[in-house]
Amino acid sequence: MNILAVNNLSKKFKDKVAVNDISFSLQEGEILGLLGPNGAGKTTTLQMLLGVLTPTTGLIKYFGKDLGENRTEILEEVNFSSTYTKLPWRLSVKENLTFISYLYQIKNRQSRIKEIVKIFKIEQLINMPMTDLSAGQLTRVNLAKAFINYPKILLLDEPTASLDPDVATYIRDFLLEERKKFNVSIIITSHNMAEVEEVCDRVIFINNGKIIANDTPVGLAKTIEISHVELLVKDGLKRTEEFCQKQSYAYKIDGRYIVVDVKEREIAQFLRDLMNKGVYYDEISINKPTLEDYFLQMTRKI
Amino acid sequence: MRIHRIYAVILRFMYLFRRSYDRISDAFYWPTIDLMLWGLTSVYFRSYMPDASKVILIIMSGILFWIIIWRGQYEITVNLLEDLWNENLINMFVSPLKFGEWIVAFLFIGVIKAFMSFSFALLMAYLLYKVNILFFGWNFIPIIALLIMTGWAVGFFVAGLILRFGTKVQTFAWTIVALISPFSALYYPVSILPTWAQTVAKFIPASYIFEEIREIIATGKVDPNKFYISLTLNCIYLVLSLLFLRNSFDKVLNKGLVKVY
Repeated sequence: MNILAVNNLSKKFKDKVAVNDISFSLQEGEILGLLGPNGAGKTTTLQMLLGVLTPTTGLIKYFGKDLGENRTEILEEVNFSSTYTKLPWRLSVKENLTFISYLYQIKNRQSRIKEIVKIFKIEQLINMPMTDLSAGQLTRVNLAKAFINYPKILLLDEPTASLDPDVATYIRDFLLEERKKFNVSIIITSHNMAEVEEVCDRVIFINNGKIIANDTPVGLAKTIEISHVELLVKDGLKRTEEFCQKQSYAYKIDGRYIVVDVKEREIAQFLRDLMNKGVYYDEISINKPTLEDYFLQMTRKI
Repeated sequence: MRIHRIYAVILRFMYLFRRSYDRISDAFYWPTIDLMLWGLTSVYFRSYMPDASKVILIIMSGILFWIIIWRGQYEITVNLLEDLWNENLINMFVSPLKFGEWIVAFLFIGVIKAFMSFSFALLMAYLLYKVNILFFGWNFIPIIALLIMTGWAVGFFVAGLILRFGTKVQTFAWTIVALISPFSALYYPVSILPTWAQTVAKFIPASYIFEEIREIIATGKVDPNKFYISLTLNCIYLVLSLLFLRNSFDKVLNKGLVKVY
């Protein structure tokens, strides 16, 4: 079931088209990644989805209802967290969560706040003013704020930026768990491609305000033909380098290691050619293309 | 309109008030300074004019009732600025909070703070000069209501300007209300103003109230017409300033709430 439907959405700022006629949908329980280089239109899209930026044209429907006409009703079921927005800095964590819980009319307010601070491991920070928190702690408080109203749809802008790797992993697991338990639908923007690959069911790639790809992370990565062949060369590094130059393969050398970008279907022939040239290697690893490779290829094209 | 959301906004500002020594001192410091400065000045003048027994009362009333206008507008504009300084506007409006609820919360905060500052100043006036203005009795209600309406109208207008132009015009939050004070005739009758200023004063709702206050002090009589004129002007200005604020908010939504700072 489509829980969010975006149709022909555009946003124009004076002469600049920030978002250009995009359409997509979000299914119940789906985690959707919104990717693209800086200035591609991701944040503008998120702002329009949140109702804090008026679209020039287009329609946004949550639960089958138009956002413009049913803003209040819709936003009771939606929440948002961004590393780049702040909560009132003189207030303590508890005061912030308390006034926000009133905004969403949370039942059993105190117990919900206790529960949410435990989930995001911010019990020790509860009485501290926001000014005293580190970047990672602020991110966790922002996430706690985003989950406080049991949202059906979450919009997360860089949810794990500034977090330590262990906490980031914990948050990713938590997102997956929430989806499993409550069928929460999530839209994520992130620059961490491994994270997007891990949590997102589908990825939309935006550039210059247009959607240029809409597929699963694996599907997008598959469109990249190039694999990275990494060899620890025992004998013949110079010959390998000359061969790569001759065949126009992109490569990088680090000590005795060489990493060569080879089309997946040409790997076998490439290795045979090296053997014929008397190249011997002790280690080999073949890294299949990832979402990051897709992202890099798309952004290089731009 | 939902009370819990209005309460949330009020709660957010009350938390902030409790934690901000500058905001606490704002509420009590300036009324005390004004009372001391003008109170002592009027005591000094009275020593030259023993017949002018009501000088202190007139000056004190001007100071005390001006607090109502000042706090009414100040709370609207400074609380908006607090949200801009904290980059919190987006957090408020990604929630189900409605524009109208946000405004009503500002009005409540203005009333609460005006009551706090006014009560404090009343007590100070009594302790310092034995001045008691409670003799206004029931007239307090229209006087205070009409003055706070003037404060709100100025506050909404300034808030609209701040939303349009951002914090680079934040000084308006402290200065614009002062612009109407000479024409409000706080301490003197409108008739002593130059002719052009008297014309301006006719369009200032507070001028009718301060004239009325002096009339009550001098004669004990009330002229309801002055209240009616003030009410009419206040209603017109409130509607216009709210429309201006709403229009400014819509313009902000066109460029994005996160871009207001």
